[in-house]
Amino acid sequence: MSTVTDPSVLMELSHVSRVYGTGEAAVWALRDVSMVIRAGDFLSIVGPSGSGKSTMLGLLGCLDVPTEGTITVGGEEVTRLADAARTRVRGQSIGFVFQQFHLIPHLDALGNVETALLYRSLKPAERKERAMASLERVGLGKRADHRPVQLSGGEQQRVALARALVTEPKILLADEPTGALDSKNAANVMEILSSLQATSRAVVIVTHDASIANSAARKISMLDGGIVTDEILRR
Amino acid sequence: MSTFKDLLRVAFNGLFARKVRTLLLLLGPMIGVAAIIASVGLTDSAKGDLKAKVNKLGTNLIEAAASSSFGGQNPTLPTDAVERALTVTTVEKVSAVVELTNIVVSPYEEASDVFETVPIPVLGTDIYLPEVLEVALVSGRWISDFDAQKGARSAVIGVGLAQEFKFLPGEIRTIELRGIPYAVVGILDSVELEPGFDNAVFISFHSAEIDFLDDDAEPNKMYVRCVEGTEKESADALRLAVNLGGPQEITTEIKSEALELAAQSDRQLQLIVISMGLLAIIVGGLGIANVMSISVIQRSAEIGIRRALGHTRQIIAIQFLLEAIAVGVIGGIMGVLLGMLAIFIGASLAGWVFVMASWLAPAGIILAITISVLAGLYPANRAAKLEPLETLRLG
Repeated sequence: MSTVTDPSVLMELSHVSRVYGTGEAAVWALRDVSMVIRAGDFLSIVGPSGSGKSTMLGLLGCLDVPTEGTITVGGEEVTRLADAARTRVRGQSIGFVFQQFHLIPHLDALGNVETALLYRSLKPAERKERAMASLERVGLGKRADHRPVQLSGGEQQRVALARALVTEPKILLADEPTGALDSKNAANVMEILSSLQATSRAVVIVTHDASIANSAARKISMLDGGIVTDEILRR
Repeated sequence: MSTFKDLLRVAFNGLFARKVRTLLLLLGPMIGVAAIIASVGLTDSAKGDLKAKVNKLGTNLIEAAASSSFGGQNPTLPTDAVERALTVTTVEKVSAVVELTNIVVSPYEEASDVFETVPIPVLGTDIYLPEVLEVALVSGRWISDFDAQKGARSAVIGVGLAQEFKFLPGEIRTIELRGIPYAVVGILDSVELEPGFDNAVFISFHSAEIDFLDDDAEPNKMYVRCVEGTEKESADALRLAVNLGGPQEITTEIKSEALELAAQSDRQLQLIVISMGLLAIIVGGLGIANVMSISVIQRSAEIGIRRALGHTRQIIAIQFLLEAIAVGVIGGIMGVLLGMLAIFIGASLAGWVFVMASWLAPAGIILAITISVLAGLYPANRAAKLEPLETLRLG
């Protein structure tokens, strides 16, 4: 496999299928999907409900394993890893942003960002420093001691972004990141996401919103558990 | 190590974020431990008081009483029982008493009608009784050698009787025994081992023979001090020495053992309170398991995001277990403090000395932790088994 040695390939899906249930009740959520995510990608995965994009997100995020096929992250075949090792890969390589933010309600913004840095043998001071830097990066340095309920939706999503970025992930996975936001905040979050484009990182947005999808540089359209198109929109 | 610190930090954050819930969780182990500590501590304090009494009285007092297995009336010991008892080499001091019957005791002649129906024991005894019982006189003196030999009508009364008759200490009074006036020469302090002596009248054997008995006074009870540590052997030897194969039977009783036997009944009560404390702890543990299981469901999104952020199942499980352990530690410590307070209050009210075994505090805390860990295992396991994909409800 030549791709394993190609350092620009961050993640590769090879003939991946995901089947829920068995026998008569089996549902093929994903069927024989192959794709590559490269460093520098600003990629959107778009499709209607039931197209398989949520299943795709689970697999890309190493939250799930395919029924068939292999997934490699940074040259490591995660489909062969045990749960704990896969969790480690996830923590090291992937950052998540969700539609519902999923901030921990009893922690302040800083605490939420720090959560991503726990159990990494970091000194508390260093962890705090890195979390603070990440919050400042999304323009929330002054809101560090606010709890989620004290923040607006847009601010919460930016805290979630800071949390996802604080570990310097190779791949940032955003699941409908603007789905719960008004247009102004949505634009703000998209702006931050597009600004994260870097040669060493890939940003992947999973959405059903065509306009969001079209603001990405590369768009993968999905339907019925398969990839319909994979097009470059911009360089 | 830093991982462990992280775990602790997250556990305490989790507990502090839900103060009321945490407080309610603490109640179970707290009350349970407090109940156990208090019951053991209070009975120990009571026992400590008893031990102090036994120590004060000495453990080496033996009571030897005449008995009759054939149901004979008023069994007696041989007249020379004291001399016989002293032949036992481990016996140090002996004093004998005879209980005299049907004697109306009254503070003065006119009051005899009132006291006719009040049975006041009158005992004939020798000059050694206070020495053997190791009891002092509140006032006055004991029956003297002179009284004993000449049959002078002098009596010593118990402190309880003195109060009843309203005798002042040192007051020169007489007492009517079946109408015969006796001089009250002393008041005996209360005898822990023989509460009956508090209300008794003591006269010499000689006076008893002259005034109330037809023939020689035969004692029916002896108090024996033996060499410390030889109570059992001395008691056995006493039975033989006094009886000498004769018709008189004798039973012996080591008084300190009798006191300890009385303490045994407290142990029954202690067991009941301890089992109630255990029950409280177990119910508290069930509460922890219950509340934490609900908490796992409520916090499933948090668990999901933590898993997504790279926290392993193991970390999640330990996280929840640590919260349970923290509840156990804090609840246990608070329970110990509460229990100590209960012992302190109880002991001061009863006038006992505060006694708490050193193992009690760590044992209580360990018990609380054990229960908490057992209670935390199930929710921790459930939390670890959650699939992040399901809890995050990906859109």
